[in-house]
Amino acid sequence: MDYGYTTTYTSAGNQDGGGFLPGSQNAGDSGGAKRKFGTDTLRPVTIHQLISAHHPSPDAEHFIIDNSEATQVTFIGQIRNISTQTTNVTYKLDDGTGIIEVKMWKDMDQDTNDSAPGKPALVEQGYARVWGRLKAFANKRHVGAQIIRPVGDLNEVQYHLLEATAVHLHFSKGPLDNGQTKPGANGASAASNTNGIDSGYGGTSGGAGGMQIPANLSSRAKKVLSCIQNAQQSQEGLHIQQIATQIPMDVGEVQKAGDELQNNGLIYTTVDDNTWALLDV
Amino acid sequence: MSEATPRITAPYLESFSHQNVRILGKVRQLRGEQATVDAGGQIIVHLNRDAHLQLNHAVEIIGKVQNDLSVKVMASTDFGPEGGIDFNAVEAVVDATHRYHEIFYDKE
Repeated sequence: MDYGYTTTYTSAGNQDGGGFLPGSQNAGDSGGAKRKFGTDTLRPVTIHQLISAHHPSPDAEHFIIDNSEATQVTFIGQIRNISTQTTNVTYKLDDGTGIIEVKMWKDMDQDTNDSAPGKPALVEQGYARVWGRLKAFANKRHVGAQIIRPVGDLNEVQYHLLEATAVHLHFSKGPLDNGQTKPGANGASAASNTNGIDSGYGGTSGGAGGMQIPANLSSRAKKVLSCIQNAQQSQEGLHIQQIATQIPMDVGEVQKAGDELQNNGLIYTTVDDNTWALLDV
Repeated sequence: MSEATPRITAPYLESFSHQNVRILGKVRQLRGEQATVDAGGQIIVHLNRDAHLQLNHAVEIIGKVQNDLSVKVMASTDFGPEGGIDFNAVEAVVDATHRYHEIFYDKE
């Protein structure tokens, strides 16, 4: 009876697994068969963060930065020293927040790694950007690099440090709250510009705190939703008349928008059928 | 001792005296062993022999802040013509460095 179900389930599972594994083997030098790819992140950091990152256990593959798992990292630093060994090249990078060693394993099959003609070379005292994975070996931390390339435009140094700060604040203080993105959405809806509303909400739902807005929502439903979201939140929510005067919009239109929002599970009725509150608060 | 060289501008000199810092500024004057760099204000720097500063170029200096708030250069990196560097971003980085110092340097 349930054969059909079982068969489709396992075959789907196999397809997923089969499709994913070959890609993962290109991912680089870190062995470890059971890495959790779902939680893999690429995070911009400062070297100070790498040095002070918490290592949960001596053989753990990941580090904890700002209470969140960090696996792949990217950063910028000035090359203080380049030392070429038989199996790898070790770069000592200094970004003003600390110094860390970066190891790039040599590809034995093709020794054209960074000596390709026409390509800017990595030089001592020059700035470089690294993508790699933080590792601990014999109580010393280093970064196993997938890519290291010279920085051409030095504005990238400033850009990177600001990006690392923004991401640090995202993890330590939470995502930018809707207060930041909503005024834009409000302004757009006041101008009753459908495109403006869409883009405004795109920003809102991008943050982890924002609610998911179905893409197929009509523009009047979006307006009503934004009105309810921006209203002082209370137990009772907002009455249809209040919404109609605030947007402003015809009561009949608001009614239709409200039905749509209820069908989408975004709002619910409270004291009576015409008073609505946000479902996700 | 920490290996960090916090990025600063002229107003921060006093709070970083006798420490190693990093300054990204514009070269304003060259006077032999001495130079003036504009980074949120004029900073007098004492050059070392390897320093090759160029007028109207952006330069990144790693050095030690002296008693008189001049800076003794340990290393300098030419950042090209000053027009090529967005100094608003540079200012923002210095601000972030001290506002969120937890990811940039350890405060004593």
